[in-house]
Amino acid sequence: MRKLAFFIPFVLFIGLSVFLFSGLFSDPMERESSVLNKPLPAFTLPDLQQPDNLWTAEKLKGKPYLLNVWGTWCVTCNAELAYLTELREQGVMIVGLYYQQPSDAAFGEVFNLAALQQEVALKLEQQGDPYQWNILDKDRTLIFDLGVTGAPETFLIDAKGIIRYHHIGDINPQVWQQKLAAAYQSLEE
Amino acid sequence: MIAEYGQLALTFAFCISLALAVVPLYGSFKGNQIALELGNPLAYALFFLTAFSFWALSYAFWANDFTVVYVASNSNSLLPWYYRLTAVWGGHEGSMLLWLLVLAGWTAAVALFSRSLPLQFQGRILGVMGLIAVGFYAFVLFMSNPFMLSLPYFPVDGRDLNPLLQDFGMIIHPPMLYMGYVGFAVSFAFAIAALMGGKFDSTWARWARPWTLAAWMFLTLGIMLGSWWAYAELGWGGWWFWDPVENASFMPWLVGTALIHSLAVTEKRGTFKSWTVLLAIGAFSLSLLGAFLVRSGVLVSVHSFAADPDRGLYLLAFLLVVVGGSLLLYAIRMNSVRSQARYELFSREVLLWGNNIFLLTATLVVLLGTLFPLVHKELGLGSISIGEPFFNQLFYYLVIPFSLLLGLGPWVRWKQQQVQPLLKPMSLVAIATLILALGTMAATQSIQANLALLGLLLGAWVGSSAIFELLQRLQQFGSIKQGLTKLNASHFGMTLAHIGFAVLVVGVAMTKTYSVETQVRMKAGDQVELAGYQFKLVEVYDLKGPNYSGEAAELDVSYQGDYVTHLHAEKRFYTVQRSVMTEAAVHARLSRDLYVALGESLSEDSWALSLYVKPFVRWIWLGGLLMSLGGLIALCDKRYRRRSTSVEQKDTADA
Repeated sequence: MRKLAFFIPFVLFIGLSVFLFSGLFSDPMERESSVLNKPLPAFTLPDLQQPDNLWTAEKLKGKPYLLNVWGTWCVTCNAELAYLTELREQGVMIVGLYYQQPSDAAFGEVFNLAALQQEVALKLEQQGDPYQWNILDKDRTLIFDLGVTGAPETFLIDAKGIIRYHHIGDINPQVWQQKLAAAYQSLEE
Repeated sequence: MIAEYGQLALTFAFCISLALAVVPLYGSFKGNQIALELGNPLAYALFFLTAFSFWALSYAFWANDFTVVYVASNSNSLLPWYYRLTAVWGGHEGSMLLWLLVLAGWTAAVALFSRSLPLQFQGRILGVMGLIAVGFYAFVLFMSNPFMLSLPYFPVDGRDLNPLLQDFGMIIHPPMLYMGYVGFAVSFAFAIAALMGGKFDSTWARWARPWTLAAWMFLTLGIMLGSWWAYAELGWGGWWFWDPVENASFMPWLVGTALIHSLAVTEKRGTFKSWTVLLAIGAFSLSLLGAFLVRSGVLVSVHSFAADPDRGLYLLAFLLVVVGGSLLLYAIRMNSVRSQARYELFSREVLLWGNNIFLLTATLVVLLGTLFPLVHKELGLGSISIGEPFFNQLFYYLVIPFSLLLGLGPWVRWKQQQVQPLLKPMSLVAIATLILALGTMAATQSIQANLALLGLLLGAWVGSSAIFELLQRLQQFGSIKQGLTKLNASHFGMTLAHIGFAVLVVGVAMTKTYSVETQVRMKAGDQVELAGYQFKLVEVYDLKGPNYSGEAAELDVSYQGDYVTHLHAEKRFYTVQRSVMTEAAVHARLSRDLYVALGESLSEDSWALSLYVKPFVRWIWLGGLLMSLGGLIALCDKRYRRRSTSVEQKDTADA
């Protein structure tokens, strides 16, 4: 027994190297989203343009769609608007989740819905409007539940409201073809 | 042209390392005197060739030789000359060359200072150093060559040094750190040489002690400088971030600290033998693991070098050979070793064993925290991240018993200690602890039962115990005055290092508890109050440096109406690398730091500023400094030299 005990460090080290070896071939930046294959978290949030209209996870069920987290303040989001509009024209349903940045009272900022509505409408008019609706997440609650690290991020959600894909970064023709198109088409069928 | 000479010298050095790995080892197993004696000249040759090669690369930086790819990607003609020279180790390839220089330096030092060791043993040490060198020289030469040229189409100017690295801390942080990392290769070589010999007594431990101390001293200094650099340069106001790369340097330090203590037991009492060998292997293995983690791109960190799976694969294979091989050798050889020494439950042996247990648990915590996300993901369980709360919590629980033991340890005798004689001095220490801790707290803050008080109590316990023990030890020589000249340097070193630890604990606890910070928007003339200090923004103006432009803010600070200091914070935009750097303004006192970082310009005339008041933050680095100073003093102990001369005399007598 005592003799075998001296082999323990060696065995532990070999076990560790297996992980180090496999770690070499995976991208550490690539994180598996924790919301994958789970239903969209429950929420009740107003529509951006018609605040009386409240959206819930239940209401959105029935058809696969893309949930796109964006904001007018986000440069990359603005850049992807044109391509997303193209996708909409091809029949892809896209719902916007508007990422409102916190207003800092100390810096004299006050949340103003009317101004925001105007700003969004102007932006979409200029760059193209891919969105069926925009949901306003003023206090970033749904955004937090979805584990969003920044904008833009896009979730592919199936007809039953289950999250099938979580993409971090912008959507461009290459990303769509390589990562999302096949998954979306299989959900369509 | 000089760069080509550097390349040539590096190639020769690689050949020499091959010879060094083969010849002395051959000599030691065949009993060939000539082969053994070749070890020293080979070690010197390795060092001189590497030093020349390093000089050649430095010259390429100095002379703005942008035909060298590495120079072009890490320097710029506008960079001041001192940063051009430190840019040598600013990237992966050059830092590997520095690593080689340090490795060759330690090898030459072993050859120079261990001439008094038995020739066979010395040959084995040099042989093991040679084997390690072969792996690293091949890596640099074939996979990360800093002398690669881009002729005939070379760039007119370079891409500039990463602005983060344009700082005084960066000039000395990596060399110190590498001295530590690679220094553990010497302890490792001693342990492996002992394993090869198979005859296990405590002599190898006696010879390995000064080397281990030296490596530990450098590593302590290196880590401390890194922490200081992060504080001063990164503008985050923190001093330790549990970043994977920081952890990679912290693990060998923890094991190295355990090794220093365990070596003492093996040398003095002839026990803990297999344990000490394992620690010596462990300290260097963790240094190698650190190099792998930093340079392979397996983990994400602010420090990572550009990821390259081929390099990672090579380093992993090297790790497997060196660590796997030595652990296998250990498992096979250690079967026969028995410890004879006997000791009671309450003895210094057992307390030092406790020290080792805590240090290794801490290492395990850091190792798990660093690698668990990787393992978790590779098992297909998804991504997780482990951050500060995990480490802070576990270290909190580890530091308390560790400090209590540390206060007791130096008082306890080898073999066996009666409880009775310790009662009086220990209660004196306990009283001093209470007075010191409460006194410090009352003088700086209000008295509260919190983390800071706990830290002060632990720090005062360790510190006053160390001082009382030293006084008591000095008195044993008749008078303190006599004691000062007679007590050996190791003991002074130990006391100082323990006091350093106490200072560090106090610094961490006070900073963690009482630091305050605020992010504010300020215009010129505005005044903000934080922890009793009034920060007044006097003006902000444009700045023009050699390779950057930016803005500077001038602030006046007063405390309850009395003028304290003037602060100058900068935000620089480095034009070539197109990146923004914060040069925080720091006003440092032993009891607190005032720290200001200039942020974004919010409108025409207002800026975002981060203001911090950090009590006792200096104590963290002071503690680290005292620890490494303790290591240095212990190194000066006459024993290490006297012993070797007596061995020398015996050797010549034998001959």
